[in-house]
Amino acid sequence: MEVDSENGLLQRKQATYQSLDETFLIAKETYKGQQYSQIYFARLHLMRTMLYSLLPTWKPHLPSCTVLGLEQGKECVIVGTLYKHMKLKPSVLDEYSKERSASPLVQPCNFLHSDDYLVLEDESGRVKLRGALLLPSIYVTGIVVALHGKETGAGDFEVEDLLEAGLPHQIDRPLNSGEDKFVVFVSGLSVGSTSANPLHFQLFVDHITGHLGDEKEQGMAAQIVQVVIAGNSVEIGRGLLNGQNLGSKDQSKLSEPIKELDILMSQIAAGIPVDIMPGEADPANFALPQQPLHRCLFPGSAAFNTFRSCTNPHSFELDDVRFLGTSGQNIDDLAKYSDATCKLEFLERTLRWRHIAPTAPNTLGCYPFTDRDPFFIEMCPHVYFVGNQEKFDTSVIKGSDGQVVRLVCIPKFAETGTAVMLNLRNLECHALTFGSQFDS
Amino acid sequence: MAETTALGIEDEIHSFVSDRLQVISYKWLSRNFLVSSNAAKRLLEEFVEKHGDGLAVIYSLSGWLKSNPTTYHIRLVPSHMLPDAKEEFDGKCSVQVYSIQACLPKDPATLWNHEFVQAEDLFKQPSTLDNCLRDNRFCGVSNSFVKRTVGETPLGSGSIQVKSTRVSGLSSCSIPQATADPRSIQKNYQNAGSNPGAQSPNTAKPVKTEGNVKPDLAQVAEKEKVPRPLPNNKNGQNNKNSSGSGGSLASMWGRASAKPKPDACLVQAEKARQGSSAEHEISDDDDDDKAFSARRTSNGEGSRKRRAVFNYSDEEDEDDNAISLGSPDPPKKSVPCSKESLNASTSECNLSFEEEKSKPKIEEEKEGDVKAKPKVKEEKESDVKSKPKVKEEKESELKANQHLGENIATVSNDKKAGSLTSEKTLCHVTEKDASKKNTMANDVPKRRKVVKTRIDEKGREVTEVVWEGEEQDSKSNNNNSAKIADNNTASNAINGPPAVRKLPAVGNAAPANQAWKAGNKKAATKDPKQGNLFSFFKKA
Repeated sequence: MEVDSENGLLQRKQATYQSLDETFLIAKETYKGQQYSQIYFARLHLMRTMLYSLLPTWKPHLPSCTVLGLEQGKECVIVGTLYKHMKLKPSVLDEYSKERSASPLVQPCNFLHSDDYLVLEDESGRVKLRGALLLPSIYVTGIVVALHGKETGAGDFEVEDLLEAGLPHQIDRPLNSGEDKFVVFVSGLSVGSTSANPLHFQLFVDHITGHLGDEKEQGMAAQIVQVVIAGNSVEIGRGLLNGQNLGSKDQSKLSEPIKELDILMSQIAAGIPVDIMPGEADPANFALPQQPLHRCLFPGSAAFNTFRSCTNPHSFELDDVRFLGTSGQNIDDLAKYSDATCKLEFLERTLRWRHIAPTAPNTLGCYPFTDRDPFFIEMCPHVYFVGNQEKFDTSVIKGSDGQVVRLVCIPKFAETGTAVMLNLRNLECHALTFGSQFDS
Repeated sequence: MAETTALGIEDEIHSFVSDRLQVISYKWLSRNFLVSSNAAKRLLEEFVEKHGDGLAVIYSLSGWLKSNPTTYHIRLVPSHMLPDAKEEFDGKCSVQVYSIQACLPKDPATLWNHEFVQAEDLFKQPSTLDNCLRDNRFCGVSNSFVKRTVGETPLGSGSIQVKSTRVSGLSSCSIPQATADPRSIQKNYQNAGSNPGAQSPNTAKPVKTEGNVKPDLAQVAEKEKVPRPLPNNKNGQNNKNSSGSGGSLASMWGRASAKPKPDACLVQAEKARQGSSAEHEISDDDDDDKAFSARRTSNGEGSRKRRAVFNYSDEEDEDDNAISLGSPDPPKKSVPCSKESLNASTSECNLSFEEEKSKPKIEEEKEGDVKAKPKVKEEKESDVKSKPKVKEEKESELKANQHLGENIATVSNDKKAGSLTSEKTLCHVTEKDASKKNTMANDVPKRRKVVKTRIDEKGREVTEVVWEGEEQDSKSNNNNSAKIADNNTASNAINGPPAVRKLPAVGNAAPANQAWKAGNKKAATKDPKQGNLFSFFKKA
């Protein structure tokens, strides 16, 4: 920690930043009215090629074939996209057939049912899957896997073994650079919402910029090299967005949360590099990959070279440590259609399936890419984060090739007052909480 | 700090707290009295020691929590809760005075309010001013790598930038803007062509007419103004705000909405009569940049209301398949041309067109860059034109109201090159009126320009102005609104055999040899004596 003794000020640490968001930008895509078959095909093609390369090490003695090429009783390996047939999955046709009254939105609860079954599909056909190994509650539509088994008399495929893509290759991060440098993650600021306490956010800003606290604390703050805001930074009252024309008073109400956010962001940007990602509630597009929030929303902050508006999902490298994460829509969607003990498990699954958002475009809004699938994880990140979760949680997973990934669940700041600090040196995480207590 | 100043501040603090009942937080103090945060905290501490009796003090405690070892906690507590709160921390926690106030607020957010108001005031200061909010000068940690740029952001000094952009636009703009045109041509449009991406302004309205030109240059903020149609100007010129260069504007308004609206720009012949120059807009699907569309009114027609039609073309070059996800423009109300006027305009067009030859060449953007359509003014007003593109998405949209004038000048000028400086008159003939076309065509004894309209496979009206005699395009008798092909010749394929010759940048002059190869599908040759060269190339 350098201390500039001349004016008593501490110097902030610096880290080299490189953005890897290009794959998530859709500026060059053209929409010609296509639907989603192409993105599924691109995904299948990409992952099948990769799985075929893994087959020799997994089950070298078995032939692989397409779904249509299955012969009864013959053991083989098939590779395709999983489709989970869910009884309770909300369908737009059901909604249409109901009376078009002001029916409530679909509740974000879990749609699992014991009758759900899995189907494997490739470009030639589909086959229903059976087998004790395959628990439908774990899998979701959109994953590409390799299955070992045989066709039964009933025309189903009896699964004996399953191969997922596994963690992709990881470049070793530089070990022991010696200094402690911290990255701060925060999400769900919900500026403008009635439940968020602006005082806590201000305390957060004061702490990381180095106003609050004594020397020691400011020393800690000086080690923060990057702030990542993972979505849902504003909350605009839903009542205003019902499609009616707004009076001038209401119009200013619409823009106030953003203005407030801009003031606070400019305080951060004046001192630390900050990345802001769009979230579900932010004024950005709905379908993944969400495009960066427009700079005109942040007239004050955008003037700083430290302000970066990023896509969701967001990928970047900081001092050669690779980060990848989303604002939470992908994991929340997985939580609706599959089961796990904790959110970290979903995170781990997406990594092992090598796909950030397998349920896109099935149940998660997605742009209809024609020739690629940007959610495919090509290089294993060192830190994989998801924003807007209920509580802070973190763990480390290891891959078969020696990959080590730190998984981080970032809680909603407006509800918990908690941000996450990650040490770049050893990928250790701790929480940073803010509170105020005035009642005796 | 000198004793005197410290005392002075103390008195002020005292008055703030006791008299005005304000919450004095250390941050507010530091910004108000321009001291560093650490100094402000010290000041507050001293104040509390001396005069803290009647006041409620709130402390900020920070440290590692006992309960959860991996949590660093920062909490604000009032003085009476201090000892208890300290217990929760593991080991030493730092205690600092956060704020002083006359009494404890019920709502913690009140603490923040006062400070935020101050921050907001600082924030609202002009962006060129570097205040303590912006350079974070009072914090304990400095970061020399932070740079703040002013003036390049979308907001701000619009006027200065406008000029500069305008100037640069003049030079760099490839759009056939009136850059070269010294005369006051009222045109404003932003040309897609000019630029994508550049901060440049393509929007430069090179010639400011009566100040009507909107400064909606490429700046993003300015672009927001773009779609507002300008009222008639004195000249009756139609100021058109063209959509900004494809890059930022299109992204702002959405690619989808960039789809050319069915505003095939039609010039109302009547309007044209007036003396107002209308801008003829042709949507250019193919170009990346957006073409703006403006309705053109032909000069001389009676005063008609001019309307600006904005046509945001798709960004793809070749796209004819890209679908506009935006809602279609409301049908343009165009004043129907009367037959008389039509004929009149035709002849006028013809006349003016012929005059064009003598006019200076207008530089036009290259084909690939075409974005704006050239405007043809009947009255030879200098006009900056970009390639006219007319795209009508639906035939129905082209109501009878819409008249397609002959975009002789623009159309005939296949060559993309050249900037448009000559005035061109653009008259549109209503498509329904095939006969008019015939008439028009017949009016001109030699090389006739005929307007052909048809519907291409996308159901869009395509208007082509074709030179008779050379291309032998038969004048189509069917009337379908024609869409002036955009300059992308590649799109010819869409139309199938009839080579729809997209009108490339409006070129002027030398109409004669243009390349008007408009294919006519079924047009019958107007002049039976002249064979239709294209009859050899039947559409499959």
